[in-house]
Parts: sequence; structure tokens; C-alpha cells
Amino acid sequence: MASQTQAATAPESKLTAAEKVQQLRELYADAPELSRRALENVLEELTEQVSQTPPPPVESAGRAGIRLGKVSELTLIIPLAPGGAKRLRAFLRLLGGNLNGADKVGTVHDMRFVFLDNDTKLLFATAYDGDWDAYIDDFATRIPDYLDVLNAGWEGWPGIRSPEAKNYLARHQVTAEGWFVANDLTVAETRRLKRIGEAVDEFLDKIQ
Amino acid sequence: MSSINESAGASVAARASTLDLHEIQATVLRPRPAPYFGSHVLLRVDEPAAGRAFLRRLIPYVDSAASWWSATDPWIAVGISYTGLEALGVPEESLQSFPEAFRKGMAARARQLGDIGVNDPKNWDQAYGKGEVHIGLSAFSDSEESRRRILGIAREQLAGFSGVSVLAMQDFGAQPGDRNSLGYKDGIDQPAIEGIGVDPLPGQGESIKAGEFILGYPGESGFPLPMPQPDILGRNGTYVGFRKYQSRVGAFNRFLQAHGSTEAERELLAAKLVGRWRSGAPLVLAPDVDNPTLGSDPQRNNDFNYARDLRGRQAPFGCHIRRMNPRDTKLTRLTDVKLHRLIRRGTTYGPPYDPNALSEEDDEVPRGAYFLFISAKAMATMEFLQQEWINDGNFIGIGDERDPIIGLQEEGATFTIPKDPVRRLVRGIETFNVLRGGEYFFMPSLSALKWLADSQR
Repeated sequence: MASQTQAATAPESKLTAAEKVQQLRELYADAPELSRRALENVLEELTEQVSQTPPPPVESAGRAGIRLGKVSELTLIIPLAPGGAKRLRAFLRLLGGNLNGADKVGTVHDMRFVFLDNDTKLLFATAYDGDWDAYIDDFATRIPDYLDVLNAGWEGWPGIRSPEAKNYLARHQVTAEGWFVANDLTVAETRRLKRIGEAVDEFLDKIQ
Repeated sequence: MSSINESAGASVAARASTLDLHEIQATVLRPRPAPYFGSHVLLRVDEPAAGRAFLRRLIPYVDSAASWWSATDPWIAVGISYTGLEALGVPEESLQSFPEAFRKGMAARARQLGDIGVNDPKNWDQAYGKGEVHIGLSAFSDSEESRRRILGIAREQLAGFSGVSVLAMQDFGAQPGDRNSLGYKDGIDQPAIEGIGVDPLPGQGESIKAGEFILGYPGESGFPLPMPQPDILGRNGTYVGFRKYQSRVGAFNRFLQAHGSTEAERELLAAKLVGRWRSGAPLVLAPDVDNPTLGSDPQRNNDFNYARDLRGRQAPFGCHIRRMNPRDTKLTRLTDVKLHRLIRRGTTYGPPYDPNALSEEDDEVPRGAYFLFISAKAMATMEFLQQEWINDGNFIGIGDERDPIIGLQEEGATFTIPKDPVRRLVRGIETFNVLRGGEYFFMPSLSALKWLADSQR
């Protein structure tokens, strides 16, 4: 699945904006009437957008996934072993569904765990700072037990300490085709700015 | 040889080692002598059989790490690049067992290493980044005379040899006072490795599992790292990131001049950039004035942590040594500092540091350092360091600031010096050390060298 990164980071850049728009229209030609009409309604604006100031394309986040600025996306679809969903759900519910313990990781913006297909698969999606594997080794020596508890239901999970762990993750990762990041600051920067903001307020209060 | 004993801290007889020291190349564990002299030679193998024959001739001069703490003769280190392994005729299944970043080579990993702009491989010296460097030899010795002797031997081995050509050759050597090309004493802090048979020096910190630095032993996770196959090829080997930097001494001096009006101010600023005075004395132990006696004492010049400098008032968070080994500094990201250390063998070349060099021409004088960064996962560690600890500041809570010594600086770069009552923000930081070339090498064990030299394929 990781090979999809290539497709994501090598868009058909040889086509001109007009050609891409034309291609889109052709693909919508057999879409339902309401979708076709919707496309025609936004087409002028869309064409202008992509031909005048095309947004910077996404970059590869490393081994899999894509990145905008400093923030990368990671989506895993993992087959669950029998009883796996039950274990993971019990663990997540113990925490009230709130994984704020992940705070100390320091690179993770958000995480979601979604059970699919009658509890036979897990969708895990996260936004994080930096390159794909920068801190995986650190997790393996600093918080291995939490990860192996979380991943206990994953079919064939070799354990975070295993040299195979990264291959397992890459094999089950699906690279996103689209990605939007409003907060393009890292988690560390956000916290730093928050601290600075508080300090400025304190300073302003004191000099009054 | 007392000079090595001193710098390795091996003042007492070594204890039994748990590693196959007679298999590991000496350079992995043996620090450079003080003073040191040597040469780097980069070679291309044009004929597989000739390459193997050359390795065979060389093997007797490649020292092992058995009694690495003492050396009476000069020694040679041998590294082989991925294209070198191909050129020597190593079988495909072995080639494929090497990590991807190594197979691609340092130039192809420029994005991951942040080697862009002036550091971009397209600006590198002729020999590098084209897949032509197959074998890297480094000869280390404690005198100019023995350096010449061992180079003579290497030349004899090469003489009349067709099928192996010299691409580049560079002498290196200690400068007066063991300083580098920006005038600092360097090479002080090295990771402590478990089982090498010598007690760590004060301040080296907890020993790190040998598998992080040498293949075939358990690493910090408890598992050995994946190893090239067959076993005899991988075991007791390691990887080397070889990088050539050119120091822009004029730019560095101009920066100091612009931000310090007296000699004392300039020297303090120079110390703040590194975290040590030029003598090697750490700011944490000598915050206000230099202490050269401390700087030259290996029992004391690294014996500190940052518990007494939580706010960076002595060693700024962004200074070079606090980045390269944050020790007990509280980091913003869940980090195991032990996983990101490298053994480094810095070798200075060119004329000595000149504090009066101020012109732009001085920036182009060939002087700087070649580094051998050694680890069982050198490629991954270098990519991590370049991305996280060198060309960013988020990990230690200082935003976008970069390493003032080896970082690649962008327009408008700054360096923050924490201070009471308010911090000092220094502008005008430039790229003071420019990358001029680099290659990844595999540094095989002595048995693996024989395997490479002897196999008929």
C-alpha cells in the first residue's frame, strides 16, 4: 500500500491546468445530473484557482503518507484478530475515549480509532509533525508497552520492539490523496506560542 | 601510546570486552591520536577482480579494535559504498539486504538530509555523489612521519595496479592546540558504548548498547538491528556517513565582529554558539570566563549535565553541543537521546584558524573538516539529526532556529541567547560550514573484508 505514496507525490504535472479541468469534465460526464450541474457551477472559480495561483502540491512524508509544511498525515487500515476489537474498545473506553496520555509524544496533533466492517478492521488516522519514521525507534524504547497494549488486537502485529514493526506499519498504511492543514505550526511551536501569549498577558497586566 | 590512552580515558588496564574486538575495525572504537595526522583516499574500482585483489593487499594494514585503546603503529580504516559493493561483484541477494538509504547513497537522500541550497549535491566537489566513490580509505597516525610511511605502503599496493583508480586524496591533521578550522578544540564528547572494555569518561553518561553502533549485537530495543547478509558480511560491521565541510572562516569572523565589540565579548559569543569555550571548557562548568586547564582535562571537560542550567542561561538551548547531545535537557518530543548518538571522527584539513581572516576570499580558502559519523544505523541517525536536531529547533523548544555551527541557515536566521532579564536575539547567522561532499560507506569486519576479497563470483 505504501507504494501509493509515489502516485500521490507525482501528480500528472505534465498536463496543463486547462487539460486537467477538461479531464475532470469528461470524468463527470456520466456522473448523476446533480453532480454535473454542481461542477458546472463551480467550474469557472475552480479553473481560475488552479491556473492562476496553483497551491503548493503536497510533499512525501517519507516512507508513506503526505505532508503539507511541517504536518504529515498517516492513515492505517489494520485487519483485526478475533477478539481484537473487543480488547481495544475496552482499553479506549477505560480512558473515556480520550487519549490525552499521547500528549507527551509531542509530535501528535490528533488521532482517531474507528472500527470498520463489523469490528474486523481498524481505521487509525493521525496528523503528526515531521517525517514518517523519525521517532518510531524512540517510541519502541520509551513507551513500548502502551503501543503493544493498543496494538494487541492487530492481526500479525510483531511488537513495537521488533525490527519488523516499521515494515508492518508501512504495509498497512494508505497514503491520502488530499490533505488540508489549517494549523501549519508544529505541536511544539503551538505550545511555545501559547506560553509566550500567556507571558505577554502577564507582563501587560503587571505594567498597568 | 599515551596520547590515545589519554583521549580515550583508558588510564587503567582495560577489562574484558564482550565484543569481538579482533573483528571490528579499530577506527570504530579508537579515537584519533593527539596530535593526529592522516589522509583520506577515495577510490573507484574499474575491474571487480582488481578491486578484490586490492582489498586482499590492504587487509594486513587494517587494524582491528583488539586493544583499540593503545596504538603503536598508524592504522587504516576501510569503507565500501553501495556502488563499491556492486563494483566488487557482491551477489544481488546480499546487495538487496542493505538498507535502502545506503543503497541509494547520500546524494540521493539529500531531501531527507536537508542537503539543499548551498549544500545541494549539485554543488559538491567533483568526486562525490555520482556513485563513483567505491572505496574510502582513512589512514590515522600520531606523526607526520608515520603518516607518510603508511601512505607509502598504500601507494606501493596501488602501484602498477590497473582496475582501481584514485579519485581524490586529502591530507588532514591536527592544528596547533588540537583546534579545528573555526578555532575550537573538538571531538570531546563521544557516546559511551557498552562492553568495549573501558570505563566511560566522567560525563559520558550511561553506556549505550553496542548494537546501536556495531552490527550483530542487541541494541537499545533489545533486538539486534537488521544486518546485511550473509552473516559473515554483516556481523561486526557498521556504517559510516562521510562528510566534507568547508569552513567559511571570513563569514564566521565577520559575524563575531558584528556582534561583539571587544575580544572578550567575541569569545563569549563564540562560546555561546558551541556551548564550550574554544579551549574545550564547557560553559556549564565555566559560565563567565574561559578555563583552559579545564578544557584540556579529559577527566573534567565533559563532566556535566544540564540540571544546573535548566533555562539555558549558561549553555543556550540552541548551542551546538546541547543539540548534538541534549543529555538531561527536557525535550518537547518523546525522545530517547541514546538512540540518536554517533561516534564521530573529525579530521581537520587546510590552514589553521585565523582570527583576522575577515574577507569573502577567506571563505573560499580550502579548510574545514572531514567527518566519519559511525553507527550501525548511521543513515537513519544522520537523517534524524539533520531534520530534527540540526536544521530545526522545535525539539528543544526554540522554534525554527538551527544549529549555528553546522546548520544550513536561511535568510534572516537568528540565534537566541537566554539571559536575565531578557534574552538576547543575535541576527546575521550564516551557514558557517558548507557541505562539499559526502558518501555512505559500509565498514566491514575484518572477516567480511576477507570474504569480500576472496569470494570468487
